[in-house]
Amino acid sequence: MKLIRQYFNIKDVLWGGRTSLSDGILTICKQDLKEQFRTLFKAVEDIDFEIVKPGENTRIIHLLDTLQPMYKVKGNGMQYSGFFGSPITVGEGVTNLLKGITVMESAALPWEESSASSGLLYPRDAIMDMAGPIADFTPFRDTLNLVILYKLAKNKSSIEYDKDIRLIAIKISTYLASLTKELVPDESICYTIDEINPELPNVVLVWQCQNQGPYANTFLYGQSIDNLVPTLLHPNEMLDGCVVSGNYVWPAFKVPTYLHANHPIVMELYNNHGKTLNFRGIIFCRSHNPSSWHKVRCANFNVKLAKYLNAKGLIMAWEGGGNAAVDGMLTIQCAEKNGIKASAITFEFGGIDGTEGILLVDDVPEADAIISGGSIEKHYKLPAVERVVGGEVLRLNKESGGYFPPSDKAIEFENTTHLYLAGNQTGHSRLFAEAY
Amino acid sequence: MAVLKAVHYINQFYAGLGGETMADVGLCILEEKKGPAIGLEKLWNGEMEVVKIIVCGDNFINNDDNFQGIIPDIKEIINQVKPDVFIAGPAFNAGRYGVACAKLCDYIRKELDIPSVTAMWHENPAVDMYVKDNYIVSTSETAVGMTKSLPSLAKLALKLAMKQPIGPSRFEGYLRTGHRYNEYHEKIGAERVVDLLLNKLNNKPYVTEIPLRGFEVVPPASKVTELKDAIIALVTTGGLVPMGNPDKIKQAFAVNYGKYDIEGVDSLNKGIYESIHGGYDTTFATNDPHRLIPLDEMRTLEKDGVIGGIYKYFFTTCGVGTNIESSKDMGRRIAVELKNAGVSAAILTST
Repeated sequence: MKLIRQYFNIKDVLWGGRTSLSDGILTICKQDLKEQFRTLFKAVEDIDFEIVKPGENTRIIHLLDTLQPMYKVKGNGMQYSGFFGSPITVGEGVTNLLKGITVMESAALPWEESSASSGLLYPRDAIMDMAGPIADFTPFRDTLNLVILYKLAKNKSSIEYDKDIRLIAIKISTYLASLTKELVPDESICYTIDEINPELPNVVLVWQCQNQGPYANTFLYGQSIDNLVPTLLHPNEMLDGCVVSGNYVWPAFKVPTYLHANHPIVMELYNNHGKTLNFRGIIFCRSHNPSSWHKVRCANFNVKLAKYLNAKGLIMAWEGGGNAAVDGMLTIQCAEKNGIKASAITFEFGGIDGTEGILLVDDVPEADAIISGGSIEKHYKLPAVERVVGGEVLRLNKESGGYFPPSDKAIEFENTTHLYLAGNQTGHSRLFAEAY
Repeated sequence: MAVLKAVHYINQFYAGLGGETMADVGLCILEEKKGPAIGLEKLWNGEMEVVKIIVCGDNFINNDDNFQGIIPDIKEIINQVKPDVFIAGPAFNAGRYGVACAKLCDYIRKELDIPSVTAMWHENPAVDMYVKDNYIVSTSETAVGMTKSLPSLAKLALKLAMKQPIGPSRFEGYLRTGHRYNEYHEKIGAERVVDLLLNKLNNKPYVTEIPLRGFEVVPPASKVTELKDAIIALVTTGGLVPMGNPDKIKQAFAVNYGKYDIEGVDSLNKGIYESIHGGYDTTFATNDPHRLIPLDEMRTLEKDGVIGGIYKYFFTTCGVGTNIESSKDMGRRIAVELKNAGVSAAILTST
């Protein structure tokens, strides 16, 4: 399987009377985008847009997902296959990508009565700053970000809001990327793992994603993965967007679609393929398996698939917190018992100075090679910012009746759970807990 | 610039007094350079010298009374010399020597406010006892590695004496103290997780960034022999609280628990209780709180005489992201109350 990714560098984004792309300058006509996708407005009443640029003293809040604009020009299926049209296997052919720009979703999803009783279905406010002490938590401080601001219709269900927000964002990012159709790319890279070097060890990535219900789901070819047993993905399928996020519950731990499609560990394994290892594929599974029985089966299936691929090494990575760590640890243990060496990456605990209690919610003696994604139990003071995109107030601490401080003022957090991508679960950031 | 001053501690063996037979020797002060001090001074290139060497036998100093007995002398020496740094060892894998080195460093740093450093093999029993608050430079297992071990000790000692900021363990060569702070690595996580696996696959040395701290094994309580006399308590980590969460128990990272009266109550009805847990879909638990606290079934057992009774309160917290220390504290407090109330068993439902 060969996938050519054609990258089109976006140098700037401007508002204009007509949406177009020329010489790396993307011009966006708000009205044009709205009108094109108005048929998708059911649980969404209206949308608006903001552009956020690197270096700005700007905060983005109520951040739901971030997408990679891409458009498939050749090969089976389409970008983000399964949402519009059939779930045709992707990963082959040619896909055009806008580089240096993302599409973001921002909406204050209602803390409605139907989910008010449930801790899980509560969308927690994700916050990112383009500058200042938490800017490096996300890769999006370095990208142009087109933020879609959703005005939600009243009295719709969580599932309806969730679906429409996602479909509109996929459509808009696709439309923007489709502007490259007749253009010459800045860079083309061919991704393939067809050739293997028998001298090098076979390595797989086990990518385990959260799925606990609406607002806490991951989609594979358009469907949530609640009943998924571990399956095998070609890395190119991920590059073409076969995995899409629908997870808004823990801002630090959720993985945006952008990072599924440009998964830093997948990219790193591609960099090493044929040089230090043979990248054999991605074993994709669900985390937060509901019972011990499900967890054990999942771990065993992961390792079974790795053995079929003659893997000598396995990288374990997961989305989510404690429950997911239990799943991940079981896979590490099962792999090592079957002679497959494993490494992993996760956020850690440890309190303010790292010495309080344990560092991980769960561990197994075999987990002797773990990379730190940083500790979530650290205090951060976010300074006041010049501009906020997404809303005038933050929405915090629903369980204690809610706390709604102004979004542009300085605010201190006891831990990083509200700070977008602070858990560093895909290894996208250099954040880690340094040992003294 | 004036030459910096170090005071060095060694045992009877490195002082040339003798081996095990001399392990009971008391405190002595050497004015001439002996043992590792000679090697250390060479590495300092004249920037620092060892002005005094303190010696004790390993058996002698490991006796608590003896240790307390020499403290006034140590204090006097330190106050008189006013060293820029106190150095002990290296003790390699010698247990008694290691403990003496670390204990002295700990005392002199804490009580006399002099920067201190020792050095030993990472499995020396003194490491677990003292590493959290003391710099212990990593050495080889035995003194065969003395020459290799001294440079990091010399370097860190000099840095401490100069009151320079001390960097992380991986750059300075001391054993991890357990203190961990968020910083930015040279490489992103994805690159490091692949590097780590490659080292493992290629049988090269590798170091985990997150050491496992293990879990305490809790022995199960003995079984209840006379169920019909037993008072049973109901406890949950599933976050069941009266509507509105009156005690403001945190949905995650909880630090307190709630205790709610169920005396004379036969069932926990929907609309009166709810689950506020932050880690699972609580719809089902809120619709039927008995999924967390099975009071209805327990009342039946009570009426049928199968159990002696149900404790008059149920206990609840949220077990999600909950710190182990907080969990232990809550568990202890709940257990004390149950014990005092004569409760013989508890059902703890976790979610």
